[in-house]
Amino acid sequence: MNTLTTIDELAFAPSLQQEVLEDTTSDHALLEATRTGDEDAFAELVSRYRNQITSYIYRMTSDYDNAVDLAQETFVRVYRARDRYQRSYAFSTYIYRIATNLAISELRKRKRRKLVSLTGFFQSSDGAEPKELNPPDGRPLQDSELVDAERRNAVQRAIGTLPEKYRAPLILRDVDGRSYDEIARILETSEGTVKSRISRARGFLREKMRAYL
Amino acid sequence: MRDTKCETVRRELEELMLGDDCSMSAMQHLQECGDCREFHQKQTKLRQIVGGLGMVEAPADFDFRLRARLAHESSSAGFHLRAMQWSFATKSFAAATLVLLFVGGVVYVRTIVNHDAKLELANLRTSEPPQPAARPAERQVVVPEQTHVVASDNGPRQVNRSEKRVAARKAPLAAVDFGSERPTVISNSQMHSPIFPIDASVQSLRFSFDDGRGNARTISVPTITFGSQRVLPAPAQLAQKRDTVW
Repeated sequence: MNTLTTIDELAFAPSLQQEVLEDTTSDHALLEATRTGDEDAFAELVSRYRNQITSYIYRMTSDYDNAVDLAQETFVRVYRARDRYQRSYAFSTYIYRIATNLAISELRKRKRRKLVSLTGFFQSSDGAEPKELNPPDGRPLQDSELVDAERRNAVQRAIGTLPEKYRAPLILRDVDGRSYDEIARILETSEGTVKSRISRARGFLREKMRAYL
Repeated sequence: MRDTKCETVRRELEELMLGDDCSMSAMQHLQECGDCREFHQKQTKLRQIVGGLGMVEAPADFDFRLRARLAHESSSAGFHLRAMQWSFATKSFAAATLVLLFVGGVVYVRTIVNHDAKLELANLRTSEPPQPAARPAERQVVVPEQTHVVASDNGPRQVNRSEKRVAARKAPLAAVDFGSERPTVISNSQMHSPIFPIDASVQSLRFSFDDGRGNARTISVPTITFGSQRVLPAPAQLAQKRDTVW
């Protein structure tokens, strides 16, 4: 065990301890501990990411129950693949990639099943620009909270009408606030493609949300 | 058509995080260009709305459900693994048993057949009549089929059940090859007479076929004779080949 003998060491000690503490509680360390059978470490990982992942998948799929199921599936896959995990990139990138793949897979399944969604009624079959689902009521609303709620619903619905290749980068950037670099790694594409898709997605949204802007 | 400067500024605005300050040149351009200023305002508003969606929280029982799911998956995976191992062990055992049974059966059948064949050969050797002191010049003609003949020379007789069984078990002996006996060679010194008989079977050849159910059929082949042959004393007795043309 090391003993502190000088003033300098004494002054440096808290930061050393902090560093050690951070290292043992990093995502990589937790996953490493999970690999050795530490279930509490995995529970800590889940508590760190459950809201982020559930929220992200919900923004992608617009279905809360489904989003919870897929978020759980995401963690199950992380747990199953704990031995194969490589520390070449951040754990958040890794788990978001799994979540994105699951969400896109779900969207494609829905498309195959021709699941009729509420927003689907307002989309033309020829692939033309979807019509505004819920045009804003011109009358003054009583409560500002209602206005915000209405606006949030409209945005969520508008995001739900975006093609999946535009939807994921837009959510990761504008909702989750992630960097272009990380988004590119999550979506396994180039930064330029990510920027271009985000720009297109915002253009679509501007058109759909014209009444609210 | 938009100006190149507008394109550049808008691209820069797009890439900014919400709340970040843009460059001085972009700021100057925004003061001068009304379209870009409007674009920037709408863009900022849109991003505020989208960013204001906030985070949706996972349900309170998320961890509990996840633990239950993981426990279920691990137990079912263990069950599948056990089932797979069990079925693999069972399959291996069954395959090994089948192979053993097959090999054992083959060995048993071969043993029985060989035993019967040896017995038959032994019977054949003991039942063969003592060979007369045959002339060495004479070829010994062996008719093995006669040892199998069920019907006697006096004609077919009734065959009882045990005899049928014996006959059925004797059937493979018909395949014994006696053709390997060397033919008798008659040399010139042994020929006292220029005329010598060609020895052939003195008895008629009889075959008896029994299908194992008491149905027997006997076929009798008449004695074959080749008569006799004269030995030419010398090649000179042959007609001289004439040189003349026909």
